[in-house]
Amino acid sequence: MNKLMKYKIIPVFLLLIGLLMAGSCQKSSGEQGPKKVAVIISTLNNPWFVVLAETAAAQAKSLGYEAKIFDSQNNTALETDHFENAIVSGFDAILFNPTDADGSVVNVLKAKEAGIPVFCMDREVNSAKAATSQILSDNYAGCVAIGKYFVQTMPKKAAGTTINYVEILGLVGDNNTWNRSKGFHSVVDLYPNLKMVAQQSADFDRNKALEVVESILQAHPEIEGIFCGNDAMAMGAYQAVMAAGKAKEIKVYGFDGAQDVIESISNGKIMATGLQSPQTMAKTAAIYADEFFKGKRDFPPKMPVAVELVSQANITDYSALTKRN
Amino acid sequence: MKRNGLKYGVLVLLLAVVAYNSVYFRKLDEVKAKGATSKFDAAAYAEAFWKTKLLPDSGKAVELIALIQQLKTDKDKAFEAHSHALSIGNLRYFLVRGTGKITAIGDHDVTVMLSNGSEITIATEYVFGNAARDASGLISLTEFDNTMDLNNVSAELNKIIRNRVVAPFKASAKTGQQIRFIGAVELNREHLHTDAIEVIPIRI
Repeated sequence: MNKLMKYKIIPVFLLLIGLLMAGSCQKSSGEQGPKKVAVIISTLNNPWFVVLAETAAAQAKSLGYEAKIFDSQNNTALETDHFENAIVSGFDAILFNPTDADGSVVNVLKAKEAGIPVFCMDREVNSAKAATSQILSDNYAGCVAIGKYFVQTMPKKAAGTTINYVEILGLVGDNNTWNRSKGFHSVVDLYPNLKMVAQQSADFDRNKALEVVESILQAHPEIEGIFCGNDAMAMGAYQAVMAAGKAKEIKVYGFDGAQDVIESISNGKIMATGLQSPQTMAKTAAIYADEFFKGKRDFPPKMPVAVELVSQANITDYSALTKRN
Repeated sequence: MKRNGLKYGVLVLLLAVVAYNSVYFRKLDEVKAKGATSKFDAAAYAEAFWKTKLLPDSGKAVELIALIQQLKTDKDKAFEAHSHALSIGNLRYFLVRGTGKITAIGDHDVTVMLSNGSEITIATEYVFGNAARDASGLISLTEFDNTMDLNNVSAELNKIIRNRVVAPFKASAKTGQQIRFIGAVELNREHLHTDAIEVIPIRI
């Protein structure tokens, strides 16, 4: 009886060992495959963010990793689903463009708890310790340059004469909105003859900016400058100024480096913009992920990316950008 | 009827008080400024950096004539050897020194002819940006959690320059005067113009 049991146990034991070995072989072959990088983007409805996503994925692939793009459609709940999916699916790093500076923090923390590094691109989350590093446009410095050009190009008038201007803000809850505004005012506020007669939000939206500026022009027809927190709003503001027949009297300034605004600067319509580089941010994020995999841990919490002033004074340097696409 | 009227009157009054206390108007930037309080003392940091790092280290500034020459012959090497920047991208900063003769005094700058005949300008009005902060390469990004702190350091350094360097220089500058200067220069690596160099003065 005992002998019989022995003969029965041996094949079962061998089968168990075989199964265990097969399992371990499968796991080790999975570990040997390329690491996976998730690119989670706030929206792919905007060409600017498409460039950001595709450049990040392409750079990750060129470094030898698998890369997959997730579109959050400007929806923080959907973004949460993407993070959970990325964690469960075994992604090794996340290159991230958040939907909300506050609302996205919890998602980044979840990934951090799972041991997955997160590198933010272009938009930041309001937590110094959540992301491994945040690669962001130097919005403040870019708008210092625009502020300086604004002061230089406003009409020269007799001492004591006031020049009225307007500021159109982006989304009030977005950090970029305020960094741009603060940079601009750090220069312009030093000149007391420049008076801001209205400051209103148009949510980074061209049509809203058109409506807001139309309304402002009713109350303040005497304004001579409009600073807009992004290029879409600058285009809307210029449209309103044109419709009011004041294109020669009112100078419009934007921020982003969008192709239509670069062309408008070239045509003498818009005065200036701040040229951001989504490619630089995306490539840097992918390179940081690569460095993380290789053992680097001392990343700067925030890495600023320079924003270049493109104005009517130096537009010839950027003429190639008017011929994109 | 009279009682009902009194009841409705009190109700309307109550609603009016609630509505009045529920809605109030404040400037958007005031609200944001209140939320963005930082413990970092940018003015103190800039003062210490100015006195203990930037001024003592300014002797290491590159000779401007030699730099311009190198930028013309080997741009990449010149940027690699002499430029610094806390941000990544095309904008880079150089700590430079030189001597020359004042040829013109404008509202916004002073034009100086260097000994090789080339002309540069020294900013006297628009002292802004990150040139003074970044040119020496002595500030490390990892010292800062918050980029706004870094921005404030630039603003405070520029304030020091306006008050302690530019103001006395503007008061004493005369055409034909020979000067020696140390300053910071911003150049764009991709779109380089060596014929329009503007120096943010650090010591004159």
